[in-house]
Amino acid sequence: MLRLRPTAAGGGLGLSLASSADGVSGLPTATPETIEEAAGLMANLPAGRDRIRIHGGGSHRGIGYPVTSDVILSTSGLDRVVAWEPDDLTVVVEAGVLVEELEQMLASKGQTALLAEQPGTGTVGGAIATAMSGWRRYRYGPIRDRVLETTLVSSDGRVVTAGGRVVKNVTGYDIPRLATGSLGAMGLIAQVCLKLWPVPQASATVPVESPEEALEVAYRPLAVLETRGSAAVFLGGTPEEVAGQAAALDAEPTTGLDWPDHPAGAVRFSVRTPPSSLRSIVDRLDPGWRYLAQFGVGEVTVGAGEVDLEELGELRGRAESLGGALVMLDAPPSVAGAFDPWGTPPPSIEIQRRVVNLFDPGRRINRGILPGRI
Amino acid sequence: MIPSLELELRRRLGDEQVASDPLDLYVFGKDSGLVRGEPGLVVFPRNTTEVATIMCLAGRHGVPVVPRGSGTGLAGGAVTTGPHVLLVTTRMNRIGPVDVENRCVWVQPGVINLDLSIHTTPFGLHYAPDPSSQSVCTIGGNVANNSGGPHCLAEGTTVNHVLAMEIVTSDGDVLSIGGPAPDPTGLDIRGLMVGSEGTLGIVTDVLVNLLPNPPASRTILLAFPEVQNAAATVSGIIANGLIPAALEMMDQPMTIAVERFANAGFPTESAAVLIAEVTGHPSAVDAEAELVRRLAVSHRATLTRIASDEAERKRIWLGRKSAFGAIAQMNPDYYLHDTVVPRTRLVEAIEKTYAISKRHDIPMLNVFHAGDGNLHPLMSFDASVPGVMERVDAAGRDLIEMCVAIGGSLSGEHGIGMEKRDYMHLVFDEMGLDAQARIREALDPDGRLNPGKIVPQGSRCFDFGRPPPVGAWV
Repeated sequence: MLRLRPTAAGGGLGLSLASSADGVSGLPTATPETIEEAAGLMANLPAGRDRIRIHGGGSHRGIGYPVTSDVILSTSGLDRVVAWEPDDLTVVVEAGVLVEELEQMLASKGQTALLAEQPGTGTVGGAIATAMSGWRRYRYGPIRDRVLETTLVSSDGRVVTAGGRVVKNVTGYDIPRLATGSLGAMGLIAQVCLKLWPVPQASATVPVESPEEALEVAYRPLAVLETRGSAAVFLGGTPEEVAGQAAALDAEPTTGLDWPDHPAGAVRFSVRTPPSSLRSIVDRLDPGWRYLAQFGVGEVTVGAGEVDLEELGELRGRAESLGGALVMLDAPPSVAGAFDPWGTPPPSIEIQRRVVNLFDPGRRINRGILPGRI
Repeated sequence: MIPSLELELRRRLGDEQVASDPLDLYVFGKDSGLVRGEPGLVVFPRNTTEVATIMCLAGRHGVPVVPRGSGTGLAGGAVTTGPHVLLVTTRMNRIGPVDVENRCVWVQPGVINLDLSIHTTPFGLHYAPDPSSQSVCTIGGNVANNSGGPHCLAEGTTVNHVLAMEIVTSDGDVLSIGGPAPDPTGLDIRGLMVGSEGTLGIVTDVLVNLLPNPPASRTILLAFPEVQNAAATVSGIIANGLIPAALEMMDQPMTIAVERFANAGFPTESAAVLIAEVTGHPSAVDAEAELVRRLAVSHRATLTRIASDEAERKRIWLGRKSAFGAIAQMNPDYYLHDTVVPRTRLVEAIEKTYAISKRHDIPMLNVFHAGDGNLHPLMSFDASVPGVMERVDAAGRDLIEMCVAIGGSLSGEHGIGMEKRDYMHLVFDEMGLDAQARIREALDPDGRLNPGKIVPQGSRCFDFGRPPPVGAWV
């Protein structure tokens, strides 16, 4: 794997002052190269200067409440592919492996981890910490369904492995599922085993007028996506399956998967609703905003240059009244300071707090980032 | 049992919902595994409020509560470890209105798995997890054990199909978890509850995801001269980019037992029978079935028969799913194991299973979810013969140790319960077990829910004090 790593120059703790991994905070950065090193490093930070912020590829750093930290722990040194068993459809990788590089490697044997289709600088650890499922979720389910084993490193230096390297397992509590989307609050997600899928032999992108009607016609496509002004069904399977489904959709398919770009903007957020209510949310979006709606899933990702907070608040109210949420993905300080990133905490928030406090005693990793400022 | 607790429960719930005579306590003292307990009291709540009442009253008297569905579990998960309150959910069996647009439905925990799919058939929808016991087992039990079934190869197990739930916590509070929208904020407590065997809360309502019925399917019956040929076919199918809806294997002893019982047309002279099912668009299933057939032939298949109609398809599946009933003809007792190995180690696992069977002189018949490496060696024996149970226990221990040694895990879909609890150290180190215990502590700090399950005693051992600072740093 390609290694991009700032030189550690901070003495015995492996901390570097040369440049912050996040490029902005000016905080010292630790770049452990092994799981044991990460454990030792976190456990040995001096009291009072021991609040840690985890940094992966930096693509999701706008998510959650702002974290006050003393140290940045970069996962860029944890960049090994530990094991790949193509015949078992499993891969074990460290957190800092880039999604793009992993997917390239897997594609060489016709496999995929179904991670985000346009990951940019994103890391595997980041994708799992933020539970970003990618566009093929309608067909294959969320990323949580594919994290088979996790190795977490707690701030007091415990290395906790849970789950297993088999595709079906009910041995102990499902800690990997809890860790997925935990934003590091249960410990540094240092290594994971992912379930893989074979890349279908054929694929196609079929433009459609109405995503809702397309969902009625297509049998379990990979995705049905709508952006402003265009919509398409994404198909994968045997050549016969793809041809048959495209014919049923009565449109001219393009070979391959022509994924739309992520909606860009200074303000980015995601609205989640029951699938059947997605249109009612899309209809409420400001005409000036870019969006990408995942029909059948119930999520729309929005990118906006600027937002009216009242308008955003109304949208959140609507989503929450439907049993969903509006979650901020990125925002300039003017918005982030005035608009809650998560909205109303879920009813299980106190259970979540107890779990996190037992996994990260003293709450030193990404403290306060989760709903309820856990 | 504390008499005042029984009196109070009878007063609050009514006599018809509380059982305490010796026969009831005996009947409910066991699930489908080997261990027996004796509950102090059996209660049959009808709704969430009654579950909360039971939890509160039992908590006040310091008596733990153990939830139970139909009792088809195989690891003692629903067996009490003391004179506890056994909470049977079978009277909570309401299915809510089907939300066709969002393809989901709320069901109470006592609903029978198969009843749910029958209920949703008119809507063209089904509930994917289909354990072999689906005509008896409950959704609540499926949630507790993260149950799978033959069709979970492509569609995943229970946890992949539960969107939300209502639970009663160890404190007796009613809590709503998850929801119909994707990715509820914060930690996935819904996912944590699935597979937790009633040790973290009592599930009183479940929002399950439903899938559209496939427009077409083909079921293919394959037979091979060697087990290795069947395993190689499984690998070949997956290597060709195809994840069938199901890939089920039976070895010869199992095939003979099943055929005698179900007359499904299985060839009893073959070392292994493989059932593959492909589903999808009508234009695709024939091509996929042909691919499976061709691969099987290249691995020396002696029979490749594609079910010609729905009746034949049903007959094949009936044969597969009656495997456990079939062996009742051989011996009065059986014990079904559930372990999982990496798919690539399947042949090795089977060969070692035969060796273990021989070593302990306990016949083992094998049926397994070959696609995901989930083994179900089935021991057939007569428990009244002196010394047999010791051999069954020893063979079981060898099986588990063998699977773990080749990279597998303790359970694929039946859970840990009581019977595998003390094997947890085989797959978890001290810190791993400690983390399991921390989860338990977070949700049930006082041990009020299903005590003695999953987490071995003494697991909570790591409480690192703050290490001394290591001197100045930048």
